[in-house]
Amino acid sequence: MIEVEKLKEYAHKLMFDMKEEEYQTLQEEFSTILKQMDLIGKIEGIGDVCPMTFPFPNPDASLREDEVGDYLTVGEVLENSKHQIDDQVKVPKVVREDV
Amino acid sequence: MYRGKSITELRSLLDSSEVTAEELFSDANTLAHRFQEDYNSFVTILDTMKYKKRDSLLDGICYALKDNFSTNGILTTASSNILKDYVPVYDATVVRKLKNAGAILLGKTVLDELAMGGTGTTGHTGVVCNPWDKKRMIGGSSAGSCACVALGIVPFSIGSDTGDSVRKPAAFGGVVGFKPTYGRISRYGLFAFASSLDHVAMFTRNVLDAAIVTDVLKGKDPHDMTTLANDEKNYVSLLNQDVKGKKLFYVKEICGIDVMEQSDDLELKETLARFHEVLDNIRKEGFEIEEVSIRKELLEAIYPSYMSISCAEATSNNSNLTGILFGPRGEGDTIEEIMFDARTKGFSEFIKRRFVLGSYILQKENQEKLFLNAQRVRRMLVDQMNQFFQKYDAMIAPCSGGPAPYFDATSEKLSDRYLILENHLAIGNFGGFPSITLPYGFVQDMPVGLNITGRVCEDDLVLAIASHIEEITGMKDLYCKVGE
Repeated sequence: MIEVEKLKEYAHKLMFDMKEEEYQTLQEEFSTILKQMDLIGKIEGIGDVCPMTFPFPNPDASLREDEVGDYLTVGEVLENSKHQIDDQVKVPKVVREDV
Repeated sequence: MYRGKSITELRSLLDSSEVTAEELFSDANTLAHRFQEDYNSFVTILDTMKYKKRDSLLDGICYALKDNFSTNGILTTASSNILKDYVPVYDATVVRKLKNAGAILLGKTVLDELAMGGTGTTGHTGVVCNPWDKKRMIGGSSAGSCACVALGIVPFSIGSDTGDSVRKPAAFGGVVGFKPTYGRISRYGLFAFASSLDHVAMFTRNVLDAAIVTDVLKGKDPHDMTTLANDEKNYVSLLNQDVKGKKLFYVKEICGIDVMEQSDDLELKETLARFHEVLDNIRKEGFEIEEVSIRKELLEAIYPSYMSISCAEATSNNSNLTGILFGPRGEGDTIEEIMFDARTKGFSEFIKRRFVLGSYILQKENQEKLFLNAQRVRRMLVDQMNQFFQKYDAMIAPCSGGPAPYFDATSEKLSDRYLILENHLAIGNFGGFPSITLPYGFVQDMPVGLNITGRVCEDDLVLAIASHIEEITGMKDLYCKVGE
């Protein structure tokens, strides 16, 4: 069974935390899901198959030309941000003074 | 007064000036408010309409939109606290197309948070109830979009389908749910869940209406490089193509007589018995139907493979939800602390569990066993389906082992019913196949649905077959008349 500490490590990598009891639930859920996933490894011939990343090759998919178009204004981009200064999103200082 | 009417019925009333678009909107708005407390279909109900008359079958027709599609100037939350105050500054392509067709947006509907989940219980504004029985789920993730069509509030709604998020609730709500071929409808402006599986899809109350809506929405979009070129077909006019003699198959391990006979589950037995009665009736009308077999271990791998691929893709797709550019900002002294706090408070436990799973799957040491093997299963299943499609025109299957579950129901997650019958619709997403659910009967006084899945890019044929089956079953234009 996967350890709770390991689950915490994954959660923190994703930049969030969970309550202790939620980690317990997650641990139980992992147990079931990993059992289900074990089934996959037992499928005959699976090692010979190329992984599939998209449903089917799309003959119409191509990179479009770079063209000047209508884009969002700075004002529109900032509309949903709660903290702004001089037409920019305000965040705490990133560069530390002691570096 | 106009409750439960189809697009074509409303079109006729509008064209003969028996009703105006304003009156239809007012009627739908009243219904939406009336049923909101009991069923919770909507995150946002619009009380004023935006409408410009157009020359289209959808002109003047109201619709509802899942709250994970961008709508310029209208709150769009994805039913998550992390987006609870987000107001987009652009329209999704489907919204723009519907606007250009004269369709009128009535409201934004509740989903399982960030479209992950199949219960309709995890949205940040509360649980969506099944109109046919409030003690049961409507399913998800497109829960509100299904409920408002099943209640007869609007004749159609838009959802998204990554594993079965339109086609499964459609079965539980007694309505039609159609997911066209991957790329047929642009995903621009749809919040990504798992990009290789995400489809735009719709709820209607008959197959003709699904064809009408798809004709409006389909086509190449420069904003979505995965869209297909316009197939230059009119699905409405192709609905009546000759489908007699078309060959269908059902998979023995999903819904064969053996599954029914060997089970002790009475609900499952009744559901499959009704399904096989319908198969007999379809045969009598000139379809050929044969049983085929797929290795059981491959079918049992559908759900874990879906979980593996979708959670891994979701973990990456949702990394932009930081509370910095949009969404409630977290507290902290550094940018990292602010993001950490915003994400801790903004995601529900359920979502966090899925993200952790996705992260685990993507770890270097787990990728081969969990992620790449899941993608290999995906190919094996899709190859198997394409092999069947060389001989057969479409697959037919029940959408579920029973009607909508009760809220307090539990499933044995390693059972055959759970792993195969409750999750096989994801095959349609793995291969991007056009796939439609339509009601075929009632079990325990609740609707049950069957699904038709066909070859990639043969959306017209899938719709035509579904339309003929709809005539055979007579299960058309259903809605729950609660409150009448």
